[in-house]
Amino acid sequence: MALNIERKVSSDETVISVAGDVDLYTSPELRKAVLEAVPGAAGRVAVDLSGVNYIDSSGIATLVEGLRSAHKHDKAFVLVTPSPPVMQVLELSKLDNVFEVRTTS
Amino acid sequence: MRTQEKDLRLTVRSDPYLLASIRSLVRGWLESWNVSSEAVHQVVLAIDEACANAIRHAYEGRKDRCVELTMHAEPEYFEFQVSDQGVPCPSECAEYRPLKIPDSEDLRPGGLGVQLMYEVFDEVQFCPGPTIGNCVTMKLMRRKRGI
Repeated sequence: MALNIERKVSSDETVISVAGDVDLYTSPELRKAVLEAVPGAAGRVAVDLSGVNYIDSSGIATLVEGLRSAHKHDKAFVLVTPSPPVMQVLELSKLDNVFEVRTTS
Repeated sequence: MRTQEKDLRLTVRSDPYLLASIRSLVRGWLESWNVSSEAVHQVVLAIDEACANAIRHAYEGRKDRCVELTMHAEPEYFEFQVSDQGVPCPSECAEYRPLKIPDSEDLRPGGLGVQLMYEVFDEVQFCPGPTIGNCVTMKLMRRKRGI
């Protein structure tokens, strides 16, 4: 399943909404979107994962890279409403407490 | 190893595009055994990681090679094997390092796939060939899991 990525910019937040499967094939697209959004974002960088059906370790690694890049640029990095499959992989990876998670968009 | 009725052997081109199809097939196979949806998701993830490692590391991203997957059921366990004819996996990459909550210092992307395989399965065995190829065998004990 292809990945659908949308970016919405407001004065205090850049929201990247992701829908579909994030795997070895599609994660480079997410990586590009996240790493491009971080440096120029006006405020927080929020990644909406409510529409993600599946995520693998390359997708999780991309989120870790996004978080690190946001910290480097002194910006907050938030995961918005991760879907159950995303939460399950974050928990399995022991990374569920590393990310700030917001449950409403 | 005796072949069982539902056993499956599949050879797939080493193209990341095909991982979604592999996942769909593995999901269907597990569902035919009435495996719970949470366990299905975890096993699908771990097998996807094994296939992705073959593509990414053993074949160094080459899309024209072959990855072989077998799924075999015994009354006591399910056994999955992913093999390739690529670069043998260095032993340090196949080691089990229990995942722990990282602090921001050692938070780094990468290296997670193999550890997820260990987290999901009851037994994981990596057999890199002496000069070429890898075979990883992953077992899920059925009684322990109530499957």
